[in-house]
Amino acid sequence: MLQVDGLSVRYGPVQALRGVSFTAEDGVITTVLGANGAGKTTLLRTLSGLVRTHEGTATFDGEPLIGKDPETIARMGIAHVPEGRGVIAELTVDEHLRLGTLSRVPRSERRTAIEDVYGLFPPLESRRHRHAATLSGGERQMLVIARALVSRPRLLLLDEPSLGLAPIVTAQTMATIRQLTSREGIGAVLVEQNARSALSVADWAVVLNLGQVVLADRPERLTADADLRHHYLGF
Amino acid sequence: MRLFVNVLLSGVAQGMVFAAIALGLVLISRATGVINFAQGAMAMFTTFLAYTLLEHGIGYWPAFVATLAIGFVFGGLVERTLMRPLQGKSPLNAVIVTIGLLVVLEGLAGSIWGNTSRGFPAAFSQQGLAIGTTRVAFSTFDVFTVGAVVVLVAAIVALFRWTNLGLRMRAGAFAPEVARLLGVRVGRLFTLGWALACAAGSLAGLLVAPVSSFSPYYMDLYLIYGFVAAVLGGLVSPVGALVGGLVTGLATAFVGGYLGSNLEPMAALVLLLIVLMARPQGLFGTAIARRV
Repeated sequence: MLQVDGLSVRYGPVQALRGVSFTAEDGVITTVLGANGAGKTTLLRTLSGLVRTHEGTATFDGEPLIGKDPETIARMGIAHVPEGRGVIAELTVDEHLRLGTLSRVPRSERRTAIEDVYGLFPPLESRRHRHAATLSGGERQMLVIARALVSRPRLLLLDEPSLGLAPIVTAQTMATIRQLTSREGIGAVLVEQNARSALSVADWAVVLNLGQVVLADRPERLTADADLRHHYLGF
Repeated sequence: MRLFVNVLLSGVAQGMVFAAIALGLVLISRATGVINFAQGAMAMFTTFLAYTLLEHGIGYWPAFVATLAIGFVFGGLVERTLMRPLQGKSPLNAVIVTIGLLVVLEGLAGSIWGNTSRGFPAAFSQQGLAIGTTRVAFSTFDVFTVGAVVVLVAAIVALFRWTNLGLRMRAGAFAPEVARLLGVRVGRLFTLGWALACAAGSLAGLLVAPVSSFSPYYMDLYLIYGFVAAVLGGLVSPVGALVGGLVTGLATAFVGGYLGSNLEPMAALVLLLIVLMARPQGLFGTAIARRV
């Protein structure tokens, strides 16, 4: 379980997060919504150690995250799937997945883990020896998600996984994440601008506005409240 | 014809030495985006340590291996102590520190061993091999030079291509942030990159010392040739460094052999100019913008 308490982040004079607190349970999808600049990406980058802060705490299964290196946090099983350009153009699809297994999967199980993930994303299997630079936007997005899944994470931090994906691929990706969380019992924090699709799969929703949590509730309550949707989510 | 063959052969031997220096530059540049101007001076310093070992009666091969090991440790230490604190700052800071290191090492070597040139032993005979009744400008030592550098480049390529460590190193070099999110300890790999680069430099130092006038400044010109070779090869690929070294070696040898040896440095720089105008990403580089 991820527990965030009073997290604040400042970039020089800009206060990106102001006392953010929320909980993301295991086995469920917690979506973090909000307009551009609300602090969603900063929140994920702080949890995975890329952004440093001294204000507030974040713990995963009781272990503190703040102050740790990104690589240490990754080795704890927290897989941050960065937005957009998270692929390494010079590596092949297969090398990305191999890289994903190196930290947490025992040597003898690595190949099986990779083949399992190919089963989830068949388009990647047919391109396994192609360089990531030759993939389409949708395939790249699939690759970064596959690379996170192959690492046997305990918690997924997903930054805009639907960005640049065709609606049908978005639906498939969401369904895959949904399945994984409920079957494997891993938690997922899903940051999205596409609030409609995120709310449809999430079990819990947190709304950020100007770096502050303005609302945390069940997704269907948000969807039902037209005022809220108009005000914070723009639909 | 005989001149042509001799020039060709000495060009190949020269080129391999340039390739070893270029390889060192490439290993550091692709991992950290920094051009290590101290690459030559660090090689000079370890070669002087080898010289001291030899003077104390240590055999050539033990001293040879010890020198590569010293270079490896030295490179790692430089990264940890001098380069690490500059991470995240402008690459220019790091470049200036390497220039400072170059000056310090040359000064230090001068005050320890003196500034005069001296001889340095070669691993094998430097007499030209006999083909029929004529001798060509290619000695057993040149054969060793070519072999050693080819083996080194092949080993580095194999490391990058076929091992998990190499995969981590490539990921850390091309996308440090993404690599860290995957649990790759990128900082350690930077240290390893510097260590390997300086071991390669030490090899170059040992190969150059017998064929040049060995003094604290003997690597300065070779650093320039090595730099030309590295840029020619695209600054990212070990094979590019090898080919770049070969091209630079042949170009300088032919200009030296046919037009006069004092034109050799200029030939290298003209070559650099031509390549940068015709193919700025180098012969093996991709079109991705690079941080130099």
